[in-house]
Amino acid sequence: MAGKVKWVTDMEKSVLINNFEKRGWVQVTENEDWNFYWMSVQTIRNVFSVETGYRLSDDQIVNHFPNHYELTRKDLMVKNIKRYRKELEKEGSPLAEKDESGKYLYLDFVPITYMLPADYNLFVEEFRKSPSSTWIMKPCGKAQGKGIFLINKLSQIKKWSRDSKTSSFVTQSTKEAYVISLYINNPLLIGGRKFDLRLYVLVSTYRPLRCYMYKLGFCRFCTVKYTPSTSELDNMFVHLTNVAIQKHGEDYNHIHGGKWTVSNLRLYLESTRGKEVTSRLFDEIHWIIVQSLKAVAVNASPSLTSSTANDRILKYNLINDTLNIAVPNGEIPDCKWNKSPPKEVLGNYEILYDEELAQGDGADRELRSRSGQSLGPKASRLRDAGRTVLTTWK
Amino acid sequence: MLQEESDLSLIIAQIVQKLKGSNLYAQLERQAWASLQRPEIKLESLKEDIKEFFKISGWEKKLQNAVYSELSVFPLPSHPAAPPEHLKEPLVYMRKAQGSWEKRILKSLNSMCTELSIPLARKRPVGEQKELLNKWNEMGTDEPDLSLFRPVYAPKDFLEVLINLRNPNYENGDSLSFRTHLGLIQVPLKVKDIPELKELFVELGLTTGQLGIDDSTQVPPELFENEHVRIGQKVLTEQDSAAAQQYIRQGSPTALRAELWALILNISSHPEDILYYEQLKTNVIQHDLLVDSLIYKDVKLTASNDDYYFVFEDYLYQVLLCFSRDTSVLSHFAYNSASPPKSYIRGKLGLEEYAVFYPPNGVIPFHGFSMYVAPLCFLYHEPSKLYQIFREMYVRFFFRLHSISSHPSGIVSLCLLFETLLQTYLPQLFYHLREIGAQPLRISFKWMVRAFSGYLATDQLLLLWDRILGYNSLEILAVLAAAVFAFRAVNLMEVTSLAAAEAVLADLSTLKVMPLLQIFLFATVT
Repeated sequence: MAGKVKWVTDMEKSVLINNFEKRGWVQVTENEDWNFYWMSVQTIRNVFSVETGYRLSDDQIVNHFPNHYELTRKDLMVKNIKRYRKELEKEGSPLAEKDESGKYLYLDFVPITYMLPADYNLFVEEFRKSPSSTWIMKPCGKAQGKGIFLINKLSQIKKWSRDSKTSSFVTQSTKEAYVISLYINNPLLIGGRKFDLRLYVLVSTYRPLRCYMYKLGFCRFCTVKYTPSTSELDNMFVHLTNVAIQKHGEDYNHIHGGKWTVSNLRLYLESTRGKEVTSRLFDEIHWIIVQSLKAVAVNASPSLTSSTANDRILKYNLINDTLNIAVPNGEIPDCKWNKSPPKEVLGNYEILYDEELAQGDGADRELRSRSGQSLGPKASRLRDAGRTVLTTWK
Repeated sequence: MLQEESDLSLIIAQIVQKLKGSNLYAQLERQAWASLQRPEIKLESLKEDIKEFFKISGWEKKLQNAVYSELSVFPLPSHPAAPPEHLKEPLVYMRKAQGSWEKRILKSLNSMCTELSIPLARKRPVGEQKELLNKWNEMGTDEPDLSLFRPVYAPKDFLEVLINLRNPNYENGDSLSFRTHLGLIQVPLKVKDIPELKELFVELGLTTGQLGIDDSTQVPPELFENEHVRIGQKVLTEQDSAAAQQYIRQGSPTALRAELWALILNISSHPEDILYYEQLKTNVIQHDLLVDSLIYKDVKLTASNDDYYFVFEDYLYQVLLCFSRDTSVLSHFAYNSASPPKSYIRGKLGLEEYAVFYPPNGVIPFHGFSMYVAPLCFLYHEPSKLYQIFREMYVRFFFRLHSISSHPSGIVSLCLLFETLLQTYLPQLFYHLREIGAQPLRISFKWMVRAFSGYLATDQLLLLWDRILGYNSLEILAVLAAAVFAFRAVNLMEVTSLAAAEAVLADLSTLKVMPLLQIFLFATVT
């Protein structure tokens, strides 16, 4: 007799609980035998920590990989990408190819970034090369736009100088570490506003890498028109798009929350800029995601708090599709599961990358498609994933 | 035969007259003079050589497009002795009804003016002008106090007027028969039935490829989409308006749509056009109009709250404020049953020399007006181009949705078409809804008045507007409205109140318009 999946969560979120209940799963406590635990970040840390952690048994699944913070923490993410690139270079992989000026051809998707205070001197050297540029400071361990600010003068970050005698700042504490990146001050604007993309990616296994992208991602707009003018560097409503920040702006509209679906974005870009450019844009976005995942591990918790009615519906469906892929057919989890889920359970997810399937087609296809060589009619975009089994790019 | 010929020469004469005053004429003249330098132009065969030159250089095509454009907009040939009112609207009772409706609107506007003691127009002080110029790209952040302003009218007010329209020469009779029209519209205009609609919309048939159906992910692109895109590119290269209009009946690929619409509407951005737009902008900066507040209010109430269009709020002000001041729009009143409201300089009431049109373009915006512009922002992000496209769409199509006329694309005909389709082909549903006090037109009216903007998903709306352009008719709005009711018929049969019916039809954002239209026209047993 197939038992019912036993679930636990330490987050009181209706989008989760409703999904569990509708499947007829049984709620238990964490001290009992559980199969599925949707954990908050703190709990994950405890479960996988050296002192307090414990080993999961074969019939248990959690919603984060142990090393998820490798991508959440900005300094670790940067380190991982830099390391990944160097590794590929050492292997002589064609992916690590550079152009005449030393820029990576296929892996240049992170702007110049330094860790502070560790790389302070390196940063100063770079800063002096183009003193009129703007840089963005982000605290390593925070989210939702907290603690971020822009600078265009060295004096604004004197505190992070290692030699600073006036600094009461503890240089070794990882909590206060920052990353500083070259600020991209000519972002794509729509309606004169800056926006970012919120995409949901599900990673079901690392080896082999199997990840899915939710088709219904969205863009978040700033409420205020963008200006690269230095006088507005302090105005976070112009530069940062996190809903948490925008929510407090005067113009924040509660009916729609300043968001567009990714398909709206696609329609707009295709209409105003053409199909090729738009397809290439989305291909490159997918590429960056997969490469980042390969470089490391998974992000921590996306916000499950819903800001609008539409948002609630989106997140409910997102969790629904996620559970369908992660716990297929509502069976008790088994770590020996290794099959790719059938197309019907994907819901609004599409296959972003399936290493097994990709390797079946030959690893060099990946590079050929990246350099733009045509792979024939089968190698078209992800939307074909339903018809053919191809999961690489054109 | 003779009658046709003289009709034709009349039309030709009228078009030539129109074009002689246009920019194109001046350009052609210049080109002709310049061509004299060319070796292939010989004095003996001057006329033929210049004509040949025009053909090769693409100027003939431009002329062709201009003529085609005039033909699309020009009303049908009428008796040379017919007075100009007949061009606007041939039926007297319709003209009268439009006249009284206009009086009401104007009265409403004037009383708002008096109540709030705001002048219809005033010159802005220099400081205010500077401020507005600085804020030109973000007028959306302005928070003027608009609480005292109300829209001059809303679609439902207009619907009441249409419901009360009667033809004094038509005797309805008291006895009910199968001919009795059970809907709200009680005027005997001729509308098409499904067989006639199938003929008109033949390209939407089941055996013809469509964008909106045959480009979905399940269909291999080799079957239709690729070839259709290729043809679209060819049409654009040829710059042929008529071909574009025919092509777009099967839908436009997203990447080609902006150019195709511009080609069909015969819009090209010359420096003069950009200059004209800048001039309008200057007018906005220098003078404040009462209608500006109405526009602000409308944008804030509608587009700013829309999931798709909120991003373009600022563009909407830039287009609509300029639109109000554009006197070139006045020329469309020659074939619009409406007439621009007249206002008089203070103290000179009734003296024609002191009459001005108010607003300068003669169009008073109503609640939801800004939604005509919003979808266009998905295609054009350059303000003067966006402006031109909107203006042309308005003087070709949108004006018919809020003026009382007997034109087949006028709102009255559309309402009647909708009701007739429902009563004829879905009689059970129609009767049921009527019984529970939910006359279908009360729900679908707002969709048609707005050409479905704000009700459909943007990509679907654009596919619908492709067909409006392709068929040069708004009848498709009525057909779609009926198709929506047909689609949700099962649920509608179960409701027992108007509110419940509204709820069933509240959310159209998931609908796919082309399959709905196809099924309704071509796959339903009639």
